Amino acid sequence: MTKEIVLEGLKKLLTNEQINVDADDLYDATADRYKKYAKAKKVLDNPSPCAIVYPKNSSEVSDLLMFCNQNQVNVIPRSGKTATEGGLENWKELAVVIDGKNLNEIVNIDTYNMQATIQAGVALQDLEDELRKVGYTTGHSPQSKPVAQYGGLVATRSIGQLSTLYGGIEDMVVGLECVFPNGHISRIKNVPRRAGGPDIRHIAIGNEGTLCYITEVTIKIFKHFPENNKFYGYLIKDIDTGIKVLREVFTNSYRPSVARAYSEEDARQHFYHFHKDKCVLIFMAEGPQAIVEATGAGIEEAVEKFQEGIIEQVDSSLIEDWFNHLNWSQQDIDDEVEEMINNDSHSGYTTEISADWATVSQIYDNVIKRIRSEFRFADDLTMLGGHSSHSYLNGTNMYFVYQYTINCEPEDEFRMYHHPLQTIIVEETLKLGGSMCHHHGIGKYRNQWTRQEHGSAYYMLETLKEAFDPKGIMSYGNIYYQEDAAKYQQ
Amino acid sequence: MKIICLVKFTPDVDQFQYDYEKNILIRENVKLVINPDDACALGFALGLKKKTPEVVIEAVTMGPLNVTAMMADILRRKVDLATILSDRQYVGSDTYATSRIIGKYLETADYDVILTGSHSRDGDTAQIPGQLAEYLKLNQISQIRKIDQPSMLNKRALVEVDSEKYLETYEIPLPAILSVGRESNYRLPFVRYDDLDLDVSDRLRIIDNDSLAVDSKKIGLKGSPTKVIKSYPIDYQKKEQVIVKNDDQGIDMVMAFLEKEGYL
Amino acid sequence: MKKKCLFFYEEDQGNYVKDLLEVARQMYGENFESYALVINPLDVNVISGFDYLLAVKDQRLKDYDLINITSLMAECQQVYQFDAVIVLATQLGRMLSPRLAMRLHVGLVADITAIKSHPDGTIEMIRPAFEGKLLAGIINDGDGPTMMSVRPGVFLDQQSTAKIPEVLACQLQTIEDTGMRRISQIRKPDSRDIRESRVLVAGGGGVLKDFDQLDQLAQALGGMTAASRRIVDSNKADRTIQVGQSGKTVHPELYIALGIYGALQHVAGLNKVKHLIAVNTNIKAPICSLADIVVEGDAAEFVRKLTTRINENKQAE
Ligand SMILES: Cc1cc2nc3c(=O)[nH]c(=O)nc-3n(C[C@H](O)[C@H](O)[C@H](O)COP(=O)(O)OP(=O)(O)OC[C@H]3O[C@@H](n4cnc5c(N)ncnc54)[C@H](O)[C@@H]3O)c2cc1C
Ligand SMILES: Cc1cc2nc3c(=O)[nH]c(=O)nc-3n(C[C@H](O)[C@H](O)[C@H](O)COP(=O)(O)OP(=O)(O)OC[C@H]3O[C@@H](n4cnc5c(N)ncnc54)[C@H](O)[C@@H]3O)c2cc1C
Repeated sequence: MTKEIVLEGLKKLLTNEQINVDADDLYDATADRYKKYAKAKKVLDNPSPCAIVYPKNSSEVSDLLMFCNQNQVNVIPRSGKTATEGGLENWKELAVVIDGKNLNEIVNIDTYNMQATIQAGVALQDLEDELRKVGYTTGHSPQSKPVAQYGGLVATRSIGQLSTLYGGIEDMVVGLECVFPNGHISRIKNVPRRAGGPDIRHIAIGNEGTLCYITEVTIKIFKHFPENNKFYGYLIKDIDTGIKVLREVFTNSYRPSVARAYSEEDARQHFYHFHKDKCVLIFMAEGPQAIVEATGAGIEEAVEKFQEGIIEQVDSSLIEDWFNHLNWSQQDIDDEVEEMINNDSHSGYTTEISADWATVSQIYDNVIKRIRSEFRFADDLTMLGGHSSHSYLNGTNMYFVYQYTINCEPEDEFRMYHHPLQTIIVEETLKLGGSMCHHHGIGKYRNQWTRQEHGSAYYMLETLKEAFDPKGIMSYGNIYYQEDAAKYQQ
Repeated sequence: MKIICLVKFTPDVDQFQYDYEKNILIRENVKLVINPDDACALGFALGLKKKTPEVVIEAVTMGPLNVTAMMADILRRKVDLATILSDRQYVGSDTYATSRIIGKYLETADYDVILTGSHSRDGDTAQIPGQLAEYLKLNQISQIRKIDQPSMLNKRALVEVDSEKYLETYEIPLPAILSVGRESNYRLPFVRYDDLDLDVSDRLRIIDNDSLAVDSKKIGLKGSPTKVIKSYPIDYQKKEQVIVKNDDQGIDMVMAFLEKEGYL
Repeated sequence: MKKKCLFFYEEDQGNYVKDLLEVARQMYGENFESYALVINPLDVNVISGFDYLLAVKDQRLKDYDLINITSLMAECQQVYQFDAVIVLATQLGRMLSPRLAMRLHVGLVADITAIKSHPDGTIEMIRPAFEGKLLAGIINDGDGPTMMSVRPGVFLDQQSTAKIPEVLACQLQTIEDTGMRRISQIRKPDSRDIRESRVLVAGGGGVLKDFDQLDQLAQALGGMTAASRRIVDSNKADRTIQVGQSGKTVHPELYIALGIYGALQHVAGLNKVKHLIAVNTNIKAPICSLADIVVEGDAAEFVRKLTTRINENKQAE
């Protein structure tokens, strides 16, 4: 099999407009944001895919997958391209990117049954804009909202900034359609709940392109009451105080939509105009008036209880204003590329983990200590901190954020900085029983630890791969460790 | 062709410390970085060497021994030789004394050309290249934006200079001292990942005054004609902020401010 | 006896060289004689303010020939025994002064910003160090003249006399061939860079429609306009004037932020700005936390008002 034969094969399945072999676009499809710096500097050394294809419906997706499966061609499903963990990076000589650009129809908005059906290539922002016109919201608000699309959002098990009220994507998906490597199309029907065996939605949700191609999704929608929003902000003594207040609020069954605690360093990035070098705790209460009032009271009560750690309350309009400036647009993403090319710097990286209430602060401290003492280029760090932004009844997440002066060639950047830093974070988290990936997915650079993450349950994960993708053509290297590709990780 | 690059490690200005009693700069324990202009000069030399492998580059610095690790890093960036002129007696030398120490070394060294930066970030004095040129009786030129590679190898360097109002091209017979400015954008390559721990000790030399033998009356604090007798730290006061409306009174305030601070 | 001061006179920097007389005054009061040295002048008659003029005419001496200019000055030093040699820190002056200092075996203090004359006659020269973090007071305690260089415009000639200097004969004794040649010299185009401007008038989303008007204010203040990304995104300005993380890092003394929110990515481009004026309808915008003066209100209106006022002031003068 050669690239030429792959292209010949694709031409039999699709029209010419549906096949893109533009050199720049193929380069762009070679990696994602994990290697954003090397990519911007045009020094990527992993192979580019042979083509990017744009199927128009699930039956075309089915044909494409069958063709690739028969010919052992790697398939990389693609949506909004905001992947951060190498999910879109290619490690195979023969690879095709299946992009959801033409699967862009909002199929149905059903306000009576409170659900909407969209094809996988619909941008979250577009659906949100449609819903807002009629007084509804998706409730899903990742920072990549203006760019990310439903296929990717579901495939990565994404979560939004309002998750503590609306949930993560897994709480929103009602049913979906997906296509397997053998060409089989499965539709999971939309029902309120069922006890019909294991919940098979979860085979598609979070599969990161390793088991199936998601073509359509039906999600819940919510009534929107933006006029009732109330904001709360506090400067606090330390991040642990923040975590304690968060726990108090959630274990008392309140559900503010935003609930976050920032370390001093991370607070500076967001709140330089008022944080006074302190940690910051913020909340937003959302929903019907009475719920907002009650939630607000719950927040104030929790803050009161941990008063000794609270330094002062912040003008709530500052928090509201911050909230309205949070998301990254495509322009922001392009601008960072510009920054990398011209200024040899970037906006840093992040690694997100989760753990129960009892251990999360410990993990945070261990990570920071170990990075400071052990990371070889700790001197180059210009910022190291984190925040908790998604809380649950039994615990919360920690979103580590780090920036550094890049004192190396672009080719070496990920292995000198991001990867060793991420390694420390993952190891410290697993050591204390947390999860190494809260919402970005495993991608390609945390697959070394997938076995450890899942322990004896890895058997189930492994068996899914064997069953649905026996030839291993789907997103080679995502989630599952691949010995042969280790060279790309070192 | 043999190129000598003079490099200086300057304290990361944002964390510098100063011995207010002795009035000398404490260079130990402060994070040092390679002076940006010097990095450009080295960057040019390494670029030339990449194209013409027979070029040999020696980096020379004068300073305390804590620059050793950074000189080793320079070797890992593919420089051939590194020489550190270091002696307790050199501490406190002003630019005049420093030039004499480096000059003494260069007198006996082998080179076709000496490359330096134009300015140093700590003192911003730009004196060493000129003083050295006089000491060695060589032509010297600063603010170089571009050096023509072939002409270098032909020993008559063509250099492009940015002299405030003009862009000028000069032809300079070698040996000479060519001082490169930051605007040249010659980039010093970083140490590659695989070379991070490369053993370079056999290419690194430390020379003290026992072997260099500069007259000990002419070096260090006492051998320096210029002396810092006093330092005036600039205090950073917290700003008093005023908030005004966009009316006549507000404009009056702004005008008064612009006037007072000399912007009008 | 009067002190003797030598000034190296570059013709196209005449007024700045004249300003250096103030340095001598601060060292010696009125008790000094000033000597200006000029090489191949086009017109000696315009040179004024100095007591003496050493005008050297020798076509073999090029203006970039530092080796021979140094010899010339060393010979003059031999003859006149100056107490101080003061050089303007131009491109040429910055190369010449260290060379001459080495030739004369004296110390050199570069880029001085102030002088303190002590009662015992010690001259303390003050210069910034560490990117201006500290001022150092330096003395020269060797033999020979006190040598220093001074950046243009740092001192101002307060007396500005039109004294016609007495011309003294002066000739270089031995000239050596340096082998160096200037091959070309072209005037740099006047494309200024916002990184070099002392004053920046910057606009953002709040002056989207009126961005053009900022130029008037920038001109009135002798500065340049700059922009946030919002302006660049909407094609009102070129990326070359964008301030911020993905634009340029600037360090003007005065930054006027008009209708700029102050996103961290924008503020990341502000480095050591001395004074900041923020004009914003929302005084809680983060940029306001950095400002010396916050003007609450419409930015375009502010621009019009302030420009008018500055220009009125100028006319009144
Ligand atoms: C600035 C920024 C902010 C972000 N903020 C958040 C956040 O707040 N919360 C969050 O959860 N994530 C966040 N992310 C991560 C990223 O946005 C999410 O992972 C998002 O879900 C990816 O969606 P996408 O459409 O861009 O998918 P892509 O990047 O195109 O793909 C992501 C992964 O999903 C797979 N995939 C894509 N489409 C399909 C499909 N149809 N079928 C099967 N697999 C598919 C891809 O192969 C890849 O592995 C952020 C990223 C950026 C750049
Ligand atoms: C990776 C990345 C890189 C980036 N790089 C840069 C960069 O280099 N430079 C940059 O600037 N941005 C950059 N940004 C974008 C940055 O985050 C902001 O979006 C941008 O700076 C906003 O521009 P603004 O403040 O002009 O506009 P806005 O956010 O629209 O703010 C307008 C401001 O004007 C005020 N206002 C409104 N009307 C008026 C009026 N009539 N009179 C007075 N005030 C008024 C408003 O209150 C508000 O404060 C980057 C972002 C990312 C993610």
